[in-house]
Amino acid sequence: MLSYALIGGIMYGLYFGLVGMGLNLIFGVMRMINLAHGDFIMLGAFLTYWLYYLFGFNPLIVIPISIVVFLVFGFLMYYVFVPKLLHSKDPEMLSFILFFGVSQVIEAIIILFFGNNQISVPSTIFAKLFNVSTFTLFGNTFPISWLVVSVACIVAFVLIYVYFFYTKLGYATRAIMANRHEALVSGIDVNKVSAIAFGVGIAAASLAGVMGFFMIGAAFPSMGTDLTTISFTIIVLGALGNPLGTVIGGLIYGVAIMLMQTYFSSWTNVLPYLLLIFVILIKPEGLLGKAVRNV
Amino acid sequence: MRKFSALIVFLFLFVVGFSGIAMSKEAPKYIKVGTLYASSGPFAKPSTAEFKGLNFWVHYVNSKGGVYVKAFHKRIPVKLVAYDDQSSTATATTLYNQLITQDHVNILVADFGSVLTSVAVPLAKVHKILLFDVTGTGSKFFTPDNPYIVLCSLPTSGRWPYTLADFIISEKINRIAIVYSSNDFDQSQAVTLHNKLKKAGVDIVYYHAVPSNTSNYSIILHNIKAKNPNAVIEFGYPNNDIAFLQNLESSGLKFNMVFTVFPGQLFKLLKANVGVKALSYGYTYPTPPLLRYNKVNLGMGIDKFEKEFEKYSGKTPNFLNIAGYNVGLIIQKTLETSKKFNQLAFRKAIAGFSGKAFTLDGLFKVNKEGAQIGEMLPVAQFVPRGQGLKMNIVYPPSMKTAKAVYPAP
Amino acid sequence: MYRKKGIIYGLGITLLVIVLFIFLPNIYNNTSFLFNLMLYMALAEGLNIIYGFTGYLPFGYVGFFGAGAYSAALAILFLHFPPLIAVLVGGIGAFLIGIIFIPLLKLSGAYFAIANLAASQALYYIVANPNLEKITQGPYGISLANIYNPQVSYYVMLSILAFSMVTVIFIRFSDYGLALLSIKEDRVSASLAGINVPRERSIAWGLSSFIAGLSGGVYAWYVAVFYPTTVFSLEISVFVIVFVLFGGIGTLVGPLIGSLVLYSFYNFIGISTPQYFQLSYGLLIIIFALFIPNGILSIFEKRGIHVP
Repeated sequence: MLSYALIGGIMYGLYFGLVGMGLNLIFGVMRMINLAHGDFIMLGAFLTYWLYYLFGFNPLIVIPISIVVFLVFGFLMYYVFVPKLLHSKDPEMLSFILFFGVSQVIEAIIILFFGNNQISVPSTIFAKLFNVSTFTLFGNTFPISWLVVSVACIVAFVLIYVYFFYTKLGYATRAIMANRHEALVSGIDVNKVSAIAFGVGIAAASLAGVMGFFMIGAAFPSMGTDLTTISFTIIVLGALGNPLGTVIGGLIYGVAIMLMQTYFSSWTNVLPYLLLIFVILIKPEGLLGKAVRNV
Repeated sequence: MRKFSALIVFLFLFVVGFSGIAMSKEAPKYIKVGTLYASSGPFAKPSTAEFKGLNFWVHYVNSKGGVYVKAFHKRIPVKLVAYDDQSSTATATTLYNQLITQDHVNILVADFGSVLTSVAVPLAKVHKILLFDVTGTGSKFFTPDNPYIVLCSLPTSGRWPYTLADFIISEKINRIAIVYSSNDFDQSQAVTLHNKLKKAGVDIVYYHAVPSNTSNYSIILHNIKAKNPNAVIEFGYPNNDIAFLQNLESSGLKFNMVFTVFPGQLFKLLKANVGVKALSYGYTYPTPPLLRYNKVNLGMGIDKFEKEFEKYSGKTPNFLNIAGYNVGLIIQKTLETSKKFNQLAFRKAIAGFSGKAFTLDGLFKVNKEGAQIGEMLPVAQFVPRGQGLKMNIVYPPSMKTAKAVYPAP
Repeated sequence: MYRKKGIIYGLGITLLVIVLFIFLPNIYNNTSFLFNLMLYMALAEGLNIIYGFTGYLPFGYVGFFGAGAYSAALAILFLHFPPLIAVLVGGIGAFLIGIIFIPLLKLSGAYFAIANLAASQALYYIVANPNLEKITQGPYGISLANIYNPQVSYYVMLSILAFSMVTVIFIRFSDYGLALLSIKEDRVSASLAGINVPRERSIAWGLSSFIAGLSGGVYAWYVAVFYPTTVFSLEISVFVIVFVLFGGIGTLVGPLIGSLVLYSFYNFIGISTPQYFQLSYGLLIIIFALFIPNGILSIFEKRGIHVP
């Protein structure tokens, strides 16, 4: 039972690393809390469902589509909202309520167009595609969809890593994360680089939506709020403002949830929050964060 | 700002105008039925479905010239006043009060479920208006000192597993696993089932609560399997049931018996989300329209209702549509039989036909406290037939349509 | 001089609000709306104390509200306290929770907001846990139907609102308030200037949690039947924060105006055009955040009208 919970928790945690990734990226670059983060995950799920039922697309095909669609969407959204916000007295707090408004609007629009339903793509879709329904790891049997999701998450993390450390754009992004003002002075097109990062953040969220059916069950219009809260937990557990730290946060979250489900199932929900408070009090910059903040 | 104050003035006039009508002793022009629904938030789906059923009833009686009101010896059209509470109890409190104090509705109907009904219970009591509770099955609502509540469409949740327990005992199934979501609705079912089985000497090998927003049961299923039970009973909300059944199918695990709550109430939703295979040989509480009550003495039978409802909304009805319609029928019967047009007379009239009225939702029977005790939920099993599923009622013997396929192949 | 005038204006406004809410039920008898309005006003003022004057954004403010509701309810159910005293117990319960959470004040900015959110969620899951059914009644919720009294609890709510307003007036126009604002501006120089930073902000934190707890207590009494989800709903936090920001932080009138305008708007669109309710509310918030970022009061301030 223990090894099952641990291995399952790691796979579950990889997925939750992806769930928190976009929120952390946007926070890192813009110092803004995207309260609509969970709603973009929801949008990704609805896009997947829609393409599956209209054209029979496999979620694996939806991945590139959703990345492109939401990258562009996020890029444009940045220019509509963020420059104006940054000029205000307290952008960190104002963004908080702005994105609350965005989240309300997204949920309302989805309900107006798609109705208020739970939706799913079949959980066995990968089993049919690869013609195996389960796989075995160290004597424990898991659904094949978990493997697919885990691999997709790892690929996403590698791509984000490459974007950060092996491209000029990533270099500029990191410069902005370190200090927005200095980056501006040193001639980086801060707005454009931030807009791309914003797009990547939204795209990562939508990707979590595409994969969500296989890890967190059916999707529905009001699922966003819960996911945003969980994402907060994860990014603080990992490292606030450091996107790759999110992976660690996700893994801690995933393993903790699975262990709790195994041994104290009714307390499952409390643990991540207690863990979070504990971590934040002893090491507020997150487990992986550098001690740069003056607290 | 001008628009806003105009709105206030308008509302004010509106309220004054209508309270004037309600005050008069003569037969009202309309029977005002007030209710709430949730267009968004966690209860939106079931709430809007129920609301649609009630709307259908209003539409239908009005097409016949209204509902017959015995107190005035004539038919009076029904007017539905409905507000959106967004699944928020704080908003619901305000809006229930709006219905009672501003709109002076004649009949007050609760929103879906225990959470949104809860705030209406004390309000109705203090304003002395009878609350037609549709599906708010919370045990705390029904107290001897409160005549102002009647539960119309479901038994209180603690009674739900009565037949399920009997079924398990009569089939001599031993080693039971129970996993339930930690909310009022599911926990009360789990407690009842647990106690009944324990009393009959059935072994319960797994008995755990999970948070209501649990969306992944893979590990839990694995842990249950480790206890090697014959039957797995999962009490949850629709989301939980969907996740549970999906995870069960993709895990490749097999159990002799699997029971979930919502396939019997929201069959189409569950089928669309988990597929035919995941439901095959599964058990549930069947409710109309899966249960076909055609011998009724109040309102339409299920066949006719399905036809009329499809004409009205273009969709086949689900259980919650029926629950919404059913509450309309109870209101109709109340007005038809109540000698006086006041709230306590309504309650008295209901006591008069309780135990005698049979609707497409089953026998309507309430106890002194207003809780539903007439309807009971049988146990049904889905068996594959062609590309789809057939539902067999397997317990109680009086309603049985086929023998349970146990263990599941 | 400025201070004295401010205090007089402030008390005048408080009096006006009291008179208004005493007379309003006569012309508009949906008292639940009025009650909720007062509730949000009091919560907004309470949040204003910590957020407006110290810059700490308590994302999980609802935790105190819920703690207050449950403390009051348990005081009634187990200790058979009269409701009025139970409301006070609600305030004290939340205050104690506030003291437990004091270490969170070591955090700044978003860290604090998130940690506070987590703390309130943890509280919620503990209260709602079925293992604690004997104490909190777990997911079954609380019923106080025996002592349900919407009239009296209405006036108790009004006095809590008045209390919260007077507290804000006191803070705004006292040396203590100046000390808080200097901490908000720059923590280090404030402490160099001899201000006991941890003490001052802990007092503000305690006051803020106390007001939320009182409000929670009286809310429990007013609705009489409630579930853990009802009183720990994150929506309450978000609403209050939005109301305060909309009105203008750090003032007495801002939170009141924010609650009045947005909560009325929220209710009246809910009644008139429910189908576009959420959409219009969301759009309103976006427009406001983009174009009136410093709150409604900033429009007056720009024209040279100072509002207490």
